[in-house]
Amino acid sequence: MKLNFNKQKNTYLLLLFYGVVLSFVYLNIRDFGIHIEEKFHRLNGHYWLNYIATVFHFENLIEITKIKINEISDYSLSNVSYYNKYGIIFDLPMSFFEILFKIDDVNKIYYFKHLFSFLIFLLSSLVFYRILQDRYENFFLSFIGISLYVCSPRIFGDSFFYKDVLFLSFLTFTIYFFLKCIRNMSFNNVFLLSLFTAFSVNLRFFSIIIPFILFFVIIIKSFYLKNFKYMLKRFSSYFLLFFIILFITWPYLWSNPIINFFEIFSSLNKDLIDVKILFNENYFSNRALPDTYLVSWIIISSPIFQNFLFFFGFILYSLRICNRFFKIQSYSVYNDLWRGKREETDFVLFIFITIFYLLFLVFNAPLYNGWRLVYFLNIFFIYFAIYFLNYLKIKLRKKKTYENLFFIILIFSISLNYYSIVKYHPFQSLYFNNFFSERKINGFEGDYHGIGAKDFFERIIEIDDDKIINVAVASHTPLHRGLEALDVKIRDKFNVVGQEYHLAKYIYKNNISEVNSYINKKYEVPANFSKIYEKKIGKLIIYEVFQKD
Amino acid sequence: MKIFFYKAIFIFFLFLLGFHFSFNYTSKKLSNFVNEKISKDSIEVIKESIRAEIKSAIQKDEYIKPEDAKLINQFLNKIRSDLEKNK
Repeated sequence: MKLNFNKQKNTYLLLLFYGVVLSFVYLNIRDFGIHIEEKFHRLNGHYWLNYIATVFHFENLIEITKIKINEISDYSLSNVSYYNKYGIIFDLPMSFFEILFKIDDVNKIYYFKHLFSFLIFLLSSLVFYRILQDRYENFFLSFIGISLYVCSPRIFGDSFFYKDVLFLSFLTFTIYFFLKCIRNMSFNNVFLLSLFTAFSVNLRFFSIIIPFILFFVIIIKSFYLKNFKYMLKRFSSYFLLFFIILFITWPYLWSNPIINFFEIFSSLNKDLIDVKILFNENYFSNRALPDTYLVSWIIISSPIFQNFLFFFGFILYSLRICNRFFKIQSYSVYNDLWRGKREETDFVLFIFITIFYLLFLVFNAPLYNGWRLVYFLNIFFIYFAIYFLNYLKIKLRKKKTYENLFFIILIFSISLNYYSIVKYHPFQSLYFNNFFSERKINGFEGDYHGIGAKDFFERIIEIDDDKIINVAVASHTPLHRGLEALDVKIRDKFNVVGQEYHLAKYIYKNNISEVNSYINKKYEVPANFSKIYEKKIGKLIIYEVFQKD
Repeated sequence: MKIFFYKAIFIFFLFLLGFHFSFNYTSKKLSNFVNEKISKDSIEVIKESIRAEIKSAIQKDEYIKPEDAKLINQFLNKIRSDLEKNK
C-alpha cells in the first residue's frame, strides 16, 4: 500500500505536534515541583480505597491502605474524613496503581501522577480538535485551536497538577458528548454523556448544572423539531443513568446517597475557605471579591493576543445571538436561535460559558489562587478565539495581502506561547503576560501551589553544606511538602520551622498570605535577616531567600 | 408557548443581573467595609499605633505642657473630691 503524503499531511502534522509536546514533557517532567495539595490528594485516594476495601472485605488492601494513610498523614493536612466530598475519579485509581505497581518512592508517585494527568489533558485536546473539525471542517483552524488549547502557558503548566486542568479535560469530553447527544440521542451517546457528566460532577460539583443546560437546549430544539416527548424520554434516561454512575463512582454517596448528596450543597458554603487574598495590590476577603476579579486575572495571565481574539469572537457571537433573539417569531420552520449544526455548536458553547460565568458572579463564588478554579473556561476562550479567526478568514478571503499579513501575525503570536513555555519552565503555571508593570504583576498572588519549594531547597543545598539546615517560612505556604520532590538524603537535611524565625538560618518568602500582610506583620522578615537571592521569572518574583546575618 | 418561554428566559436573565448589581453589590461593599474597618487586623493596627504613641510619649522630656498638666491635675482633684463627698 502506498502512502499519499498530501492526503495524510494533516495527520503527520498532528503527529509531529503531539510528538514534540510529548518529547518536551518526557524530557522535562521531573523539573516540575510538587504542589502543596498533592499530599492531600494522595491521602484522599488511599482513604477511599481503604473504604472500598472495607466494604468489600479485601483484607490485604485494608492493611496496605492503612499503612499508606499513616505514612502520608502530617500535622498540616486537612482531615479527609471531614473533607470527604472531594471527588475520587483521579485520586483513587492513582492510589490503586501506586499499590499495584509497588511504587514506594514518594516523588516517583507524584511524577507518575503528573504524567498521567498530562496525558488525560492531551487526550482531551484531541477531542477538542474533533469539536473544532466538526464545526469548521478546516484543518488550519482546528490545528491553531489545539495549539492554543495545549500551549496556553498557565494551562500547560497546571495540566500536571491534576486539579483544575483535569476538570477542564473532563469538561471537554463532556461537551463533546453533549454536542453528539443533542444531535443524536442514541443509547451510546446518552450513556457516554452521563458517564462524563458524572466524572465532571465528581471533580467539580458545580457542573451539576450540565443536565439543566441539556434540558434547556432540548426544549429549544423541540420548538422546531416537534419531538419533545421523544427527547424527554431520552433525557430522563440520561438523568437516571447520570445519577446511577455518579453513585457508583463516588463512594462518599454509598452510605446515605440522598442526605450525603444534599450535604454537598451545604458544604459549598460552609467548608470553603475564608481567607484574605492579594488582588491588584490590595487584600480582599475571598467572600467579597470585586466583580472584576476574574476578568482582571484572565487578562493579566493569558497571552494578550488570545485575550483579543476571544474578546472580539465573543462580542461578535453575542451580537449575532441578540439579533436572532429579538427576531424570534411564534412560528418558524427553522430554529430561531441558530441555523444548522455549526451554529448549534456555537450556541451550546455560548450557553455554557454564559451560565457558568453568571453562576460564579451571582452566587459570589469564593475564589482564590487567581482564576485556577475556572481554568475550564479556557475551552470557551479558545473556541471563541477560533470563531473570530474564522470570521477574519472569511472577511479577508479576497484580500490576499491582508490575509498573508494576518497569517504571519497569527503564527508569530502562537510562537510567543511556545517561547513562554520554554522561558517559564518549570513555572509555566505562574505565567503573566508582559504588558503589565512588575509592580502590578507582583500585586497578584504568585506561587500559591508552592512549586518553587523544590527549586528553593536545591538552591540552598548548593550554597550550604551544614548537616541540618533550619528554614523558616514567611508566607502561607506549607513549605515542607515541597521536600517530597527531592531525594530522601536531601530531604533529611532540612528542618522547616514555620514562623519560628529565631530558630532559622534561612527564610523562604513568597507573596502568598491568608492575612492582610500590609497590616498583619506575621510574615514580616526580622531585621537580622538579609536577602541573598530572588527567583524571578519574567516580572514575577516567585520566591525570595533571606539569610541570618 | 415558544415566545412565552423566550420571554421568561430573558426576564430571568435580567432579574439575575438586577439582583447581582443591587443586592450582591451592596452586600459586598458592606462586607469589604466591615473587613477593612473592624477586622482583627485593623484592631491590631490601632493597638500598634497606640503602643507607638505611648513609647514616643515616654521618650519625650515634656509630653504635656506645664499649664495643661496643672489644669488636668486640678480637674482630677475636683473629680476625686466630688466622688469622696458622695460615697
